[in-house]
Amino acid sequence: MDCAPAQPAPEGACAACLRRSWLLGNLAPVLERRARDRGRLFEILALDDGELIDALGGRRKEELHEAHGSFRPDERPGDGDEETTCRHRGGYPRELRTRGSPWLLHVVGGCGRLRALTDAPTVAVLGGRRVSDYGSEMALGLARGLVACGVTVASAGHGDVAAAAQAGAIAAGGGVVALTGDGLEVCRRSRKRAHYRELARTGCVASELPREVGGRTWAPAACERTAVRLARLVVVVEAEDTPADLAAAVLAKSLGRVVAAVPGRATSPFSTGSHVLLKRGAALVCEAGDVLELLDLPTGGSVSMAAELPPRLRAVLEEVGCGRDTADALVRSTGEPFATTLLALTELELMGLLRRVAGGRYLRCPEAPRAASRTQPQP
Amino acid sequence: MLARAHTFTIDGLNTRHVTVEVDVRAGLPAFVIVGLADAAVREARERIQAAIRNSGFDFPARRITANLAPADVPKSGPGLDLALACGVLAASGQLPGGLLGTVALVGELGLDGRVRPTRGVLAIAQAARTAGLEGLALAGESAHEASLISGLRIAAVESLESAVRVLRGGEGDRVNGAPVSRERSAKSRARGPDLGDVRGQHGGVRALVIAAAGGHNLLLSGAPGTGKTMLAQRLPSILPPLSEREAIEVTRIRGLLGGEVTGLARARPFRAPHHTVTAAGLVGGARQGSVGEAVLAHNGVLFLDELAEFSRAALEALRQPLEDGRVAISRAGRSAVYPTRLMLVAATNPCPCGYAGESERCRCGESEIARHRRRLSGPLLDRIDVMVNLYREDGGGDREAMLTSRQGLALVIRARERQAARLGRDGVLLNARMGARSLARHVRLDQSGERLLGGARQSGMLSSRGEHRVLRVARTIADLNDRRDVEAADVGAAIALRPEAAGERGVA
Repeated sequence: MDCAPAQPAPEGACAACLRRSWLLGNLAPVLERRARDRGRLFEILALDDGELIDALGGRRKEELHEAHGSFRPDERPGDGDEETTCRHRGGYPRELRTRGSPWLLHVVGGCGRLRALTDAPTVAVLGGRRVSDYGSEMALGLARGLVACGVTVASAGHGDVAAAAQAGAIAAGGGVVALTGDGLEVCRRSRKRAHYRELARTGCVASELPREVGGRTWAPAACERTAVRLARLVVVVEAEDTPADLAAAVLAKSLGRVVAAVPGRATSPFSTGSHVLLKRGAALVCEAGDVLELLDLPTGGSVSMAAELPPRLRAVLEEVGCGRDTADALVRSTGEPFATTLLALTELELMGLLRRVAGGRYLRCPEAPRAASRTQPQP
Repeated sequence: MLARAHTFTIDGLNTRHVTVEVDVRAGLPAFVIVGLADAAVREARERIQAAIRNSGFDFPARRITANLAPADVPKSGPGLDLALACGVLAASGQLPGGLLGTVALVGELGLDGRVRPTRGVLAIAQAARTAGLEGLALAGESAHEASLISGLRIAAVESLESAVRVLRGGEGDRVNGAPVSRERSAKSRARGPDLGDVRGQHGGVRALVIAAAGGHNLLLSGAPGTGKTMLAQRLPSILPPLSEREAIEVTRIRGLLGGEVTGLARARPFRAPHHTVTAAGLVGGARQGSVGEAVLAHNGVLFLDELAEFSRAALEALRQPLEDGRVAISRAGRSAVYPTRLMLVAATNPCPCGYAGESERCRCGESEIARHRRRLSGPLLDRIDVMVNLYREDGGGDREAMLTSRQGLALVIRARERQAARLGRDGVLLNARMGARSLARHVRLDQSGERLLGGARQSGMLSSRGEHRVLRVARTIADLNDRRDVEAADVGAAIALRPEAAGERGVA
């Protein structure tokens, strides 16, 4: 569904799409109240401007229609490294030219890079509102492994899963499209501004909202719908069995995307949704190699780092994987002195094979595929 | 006629030597006290008049002027009564002035002439000896406390009459009851909580011994009921006994604050304020002369249970006392410095619900845990060298006690002796107090240790301050193992015992 072409705005997006972004910003508070159900949110975001105003305008309907009609693009220049692209431009991701997708994206990192990244196989790494340290670790490991193999990772919002996926992508050298629920100026001023700068160095940070709009609870869900549309495959690392947590997976299935889920502990409340997805036929993934197989991409014949460890470290790593995840438990099971055990835990932590989590327990981290080809998409 | 007497007043934790000058001359009867005296001192006029008359002496019906020198130092409390009364008697010719110049007089007077005890007697006795006075006359109840200071003749005086007798060269009153000996204090120590009461939690016990050996501040993290408070309460039992100097400091603080002194303190102070305590309650300054828990924990342990519940302001106020070993309180244009050389032990839950790491009981997401951690970080985590997590199942699985207090104390004392021998020239006694220069001199790592520490630094696991912390703790672990050099295992153990920082994600 295309609107009539308009005069291109200086930033690279057309006036109609800029107007759309302005309208979303204007209706953001109303969406907060009216779109608590994520499925409903996705439907509302798929409406045209006029339908959107009629649905949400309320007593301001007339005023909004008038303002909509007389809208002029903001002439103020954005920050130096910001670009804007819309669905009427050649560089806009192909997957986002459909109804229900954002009309426009403000991008840091370059629209050219955005196109190149989304032209590569893309996987959305998503999760529930609350995740455990296991879920974060899985998101980080998956993102790191996928980016190392040339796959683009799409993250949505700024929750724990998004943060972990972004961290994993940065560790592997970039290749992430971070869809943020805040306008770019809000991101620039936030506590995480250094993190966003780092993301923009090798990936992209993108937002469909005007630069100054932020702090909307519906915005991360809107990002999820964008991430799902960009991706060939959606991985849910950890989610509870609630409509909100599973909305993205439901959307992905309806759009014909491959849906995969990471299993958690059978009794973990954080993984009830992931298990429901698996029962309903989602593919089971435990590491990046599983995702690559689903995408029919080469895994690179990686060698596990764990297999190359000296016996004393491998023994500790395996014991942690079996649930003996504290120093005292390891001392009892391995019979090694306390100091030797602490040294082994520290060495494994420095190698990235273990992570110390809340409560002082150690978590085994998924390994990144090694000896795999890393192709960084070029703008 | 002019007479001079010596006494002392309390100013915070310090004493001030006060020279009481009394002048009696012809004029309209009046009794004037000058020299920045507070209300309690000014009221002494009435007490002294009645006490002198009821003791069988004459109160001169002349102009009496008493000056408390130096005049620019505030004097407070009723402890100057005895010196004032004796000064009046000497200035009116009822008492020879000879011994008045060599004996300090301290005590409140009752209307009947009885001498009542005042606080801070130990500090006053120390000050009297330092001032070169030969003796100290004070209430009988305080005589035992004063006698802990050697080199000073102590005279117990129950009444003004007795004081006059002493100043005429006679003996003081007999004091009832035997003095409390140090032996009793040692037995009290033996009856206290023992580390052998702790079943399991070997990691926690090890961390406690490491913290005690090096004087490191310690954070205990764990679910409710895992024994954090129990472990903290047993820390004083494995700390070396107070040295003579430390014992006098602790006893002096106790006495100056009005606490009962039954002998020289031998047990290290253990203070555990409730988490509703204010910043003033922790470091002092709420009222003139009031001190906080940090001062009361001087030479001992300050235990902050439920660390996350303390107000940010209170925790911020502790930074300087922990860093410098003293706190300066300024109030009403005057400032005083109090000692705060203490060990900090804190206890906290790992997450808002308290059960992180306890299988599925915890429903806290990672952001909630990170938010909880952020409440702890900053002011105090920076000062904590060792953190250990305690687990419910570990305590249930292994029921043997790892160490008794006696065994732990032996380890700690040996480790501290090594530290003292090594660090004596640097002016510090404990590894926890080593500065950058001492670290460079006394902590040399082998190649694997350097590689390990370098890896932790490059990965972002350790900041520069964190690196120094790790080196100090590694040095203590080596001392406990009777090693001259610090090995990679010591560094690895110290890194594993580092406090969790807010936002810690580990190595990606």
